[in-house]
Amino acid sequence: MMLPIDIRPDKLSEEMLDFSRKLGQGMENLLNAEKIDTGVTPREVVYREDKLTLFRYQAPEGVKRNPVPLLVVYALVNRPYMTDIQEDRSTIKGLLATGQDVYLIDWGYPDHADRALTIDDYLNGYLDNCIDFIRESHGLDAINILGICQGGAFSLCYTAMNPEKVKNLVTMVTPVDFQTPDNLLSAWVQHMDVDLAVDTMGNIPGEILNWTFLSLKPFSLTGQKYVNMVDVLDDPDKIKNFLRMEKWIFDSPDQAGETFRQFIKDFYQKNALINGGLVIGDQEVSLTNIGCPLLNIYALQDHLVPPDASRALAGRTGSKDYTELAFPGGHIGIYVSGKAQKEVTPAIGKWLNERS
Amino acid sequence: MTEDWLSLQQKYWEQWTDLSRKALGAQAPATNPWETAMDQWWKAFAPATPDLSRTFMERMMEQGKMFFRMADTFTHNLPQFGGSATDGWSSLTKTLNDMQQSFMGGQEQGDQALHKMMAFWELPYDNWQRMMSSLSPIPGDLLRNMPHAPASTVDKVLSAPGLGYTREEQSQYQDLIRRSLDYQKALQEYMSFFSGMGMKSIQRMRATLERMQASDKVIDSARGLYDTWVGCCEEVYAEEVQSTEYARIHGHLVNAQMALKQRMSIMVDESLGAMNMPTRNELRTLQDRVQQVRRENKALRKELHGLQLQVAALGGQEPAATSPGLRPALAQSAPAPVKRTVVRKKPVTSTSADQ
Repeated sequence: MMLPIDIRPDKLSEEMLDFSRKLGQGMENLLNAEKIDTGVTPREVVYREDKLTLFRYQAPEGVKRNPVPLLVVYALVNRPYMTDIQEDRSTIKGLLATGQDVYLIDWGYPDHADRALTIDDYLNGYLDNCIDFIRESHGLDAINILGICQGGAFSLCYTAMNPEKVKNLVTMVTPVDFQTPDNLLSAWVQHMDVDLAVDTMGNIPGEILNWTFLSLKPFSLTGQKYVNMVDVLDDPDKIKNFLRMEKWIFDSPDQAGETFRQFIKDFYQKNALINGGLVIGDQEVSLTNIGCPLLNIYALQDHLVPPDASRALAGRTGSKDYTELAFPGGHIGIYVSGKAQKEVTPAIGKWLNERS
Repeated sequence: MTEDWLSLQQKYWEQWTDLSRKALGAQAPATNPWETAMDQWWKAFAPATPDLSRTFMERMMEQGKMFFRMADTFTHNLPQFGGSATDGWSSLTKTLNDMQQSFMGGQEQGDQALHKMMAFWELPYDNWQRMMSSLSPIPGDLLRNMPHAPASTVDKVLSAPGLGYTREEQSQYQDLIRRSLDYQKALQEYMSFFSGMGMKSIQRMRATLERMQASDKVIDSARGLYDTWVGCCEEVYAEEVQSTEYARIHGHLVNAQMALKQRMSIMVDESLGAMNMPTRNELRTLQDRVQQVRRENKALRKELHGLQLQVAALGGQEPAATSPGLRPALAQSAPAPVKRTVVRKKPVTSTSADQ
């Protein structure tokens, strides 16, 4: 019977030499790496408020445009340039190619002066102002919304509170049931004293969020991925893509304290989006108020928002036109993988075009 | 410099391979020149490297060293040529036992390569420590190795009431110490949980190797060995951190750290107040008040804009293109609105029926 480990010395030395050679070459390529850009598709700033910026993306020529604009609502956690991370891996570009008139909200980086911002300020203030701005610009009563992750949960809340302003709603990797058994993040925050954390820190630093996300798979995310990267160090484009992703992962804005407090308590600890009792501003949020067509997209290998957390939306709204799309990938792969470019964005575009 | 380094590697490994072939299972040198050369090369290059690339290279090098160290640990006792499978298994078992010993602290002074390899299981703790250091002037590992004093002794000291003019200050310092000890306890509990997971991951590795042997599968590269080890660790980790016990330990760690930080902030605030400087607490009161005023102001502007639109509509005038309550960044060139009747069609892709 053979031993399960048979690493011959000559092969090991060859492997080490190969590793050294790749690191050496990679060093040169790293030194030559240019500044990491964030977002690749041409766009213009159309509206600003405090630290928020609303962008409108430049439509490609020769594509018939959907008359109902699409607003992308990203999470407050991490930065929205993930949706437009590189030339050949851009959700935004894919949406433009299907004829969508794409707007995107960049929430900015909150500082201590923004500590008192509540979810109500974000949704019935900033988001509502952006939506009104787009509605008025286009002379429309309602627009399309694409909410991503936490931005999806916020989009559901907004639509429930303002159903007349949303024509079609697409949610991507959006948690709805925050307490599915496979939701590690949820399990971890159940014992967290969020009042103590917010009262102490004011805003919740991005570093804490980074630590939490990396803790989901610490050996793969803080160890193995760097070894995997050695294999592509000789390719300057791949290095740049890796660095771009690396920048995004660690580019975590602080979270406005009061918003974080309510988000963790009401969404994660009370699961109030589905259990009821979620109050934003002076309105009680009920998903049954959502009557517009809904496309709910989730990722089957999502370790941040497990599929069941998203699938929980089915049957909980008042929509008569509910569609699900399961993507065979992870939370990030759903925007950046080659497969996503071929499957996800065209499906969103087609679904929206048929309903606008 | 790069060429020198590569050439040094080449020479070293050629000699080492040759020696291994001749010596049939001879051990690698005690100090690994590959690591030393790599470190020296990196010291020369690091200052000229941009921050992001530097961190990235350092991580790759750490992990690279890790997986070659691991290969070395697992193979240097194996009978490379001519040994029996039984001897081989004995060596593997010994290596796995040594790894377990290392987790239990029995290898502190022993096999340094093994000890360094075990540091891999400290990645989660290392992440915590880096994060805490970035948020606090106190190093994240300050309390890690401090002996934890027996609770009864400390409690007695800390429960002694303060007396006299400075009783409030005494009480604050007592509370600070109490919170420090609680954080230290939480940190040690967290690390102990990770040690337990490390032990389980070795058992998983042993089971994986046994399974591989039963199905005649072989790991024939350092990388393969490293990936198998990472797989075992990640599997065990995923199982363990889902437990209620871990959720409690994790919660205790975060809460204890916040409680300690809160006490320190209060004391800093009091010092600032004593120097007639604005305190964090005062700033927060101001921030809350400003936010409330801004909220009301924005709501009023929006209401006013709505009224203006209504008045314009009553008077048959064109309403303003954009809200005065809003602040367009640039002149708009939005397309003329085209209202269409929406015809609802069947969904494009559907994995569940319409609700």
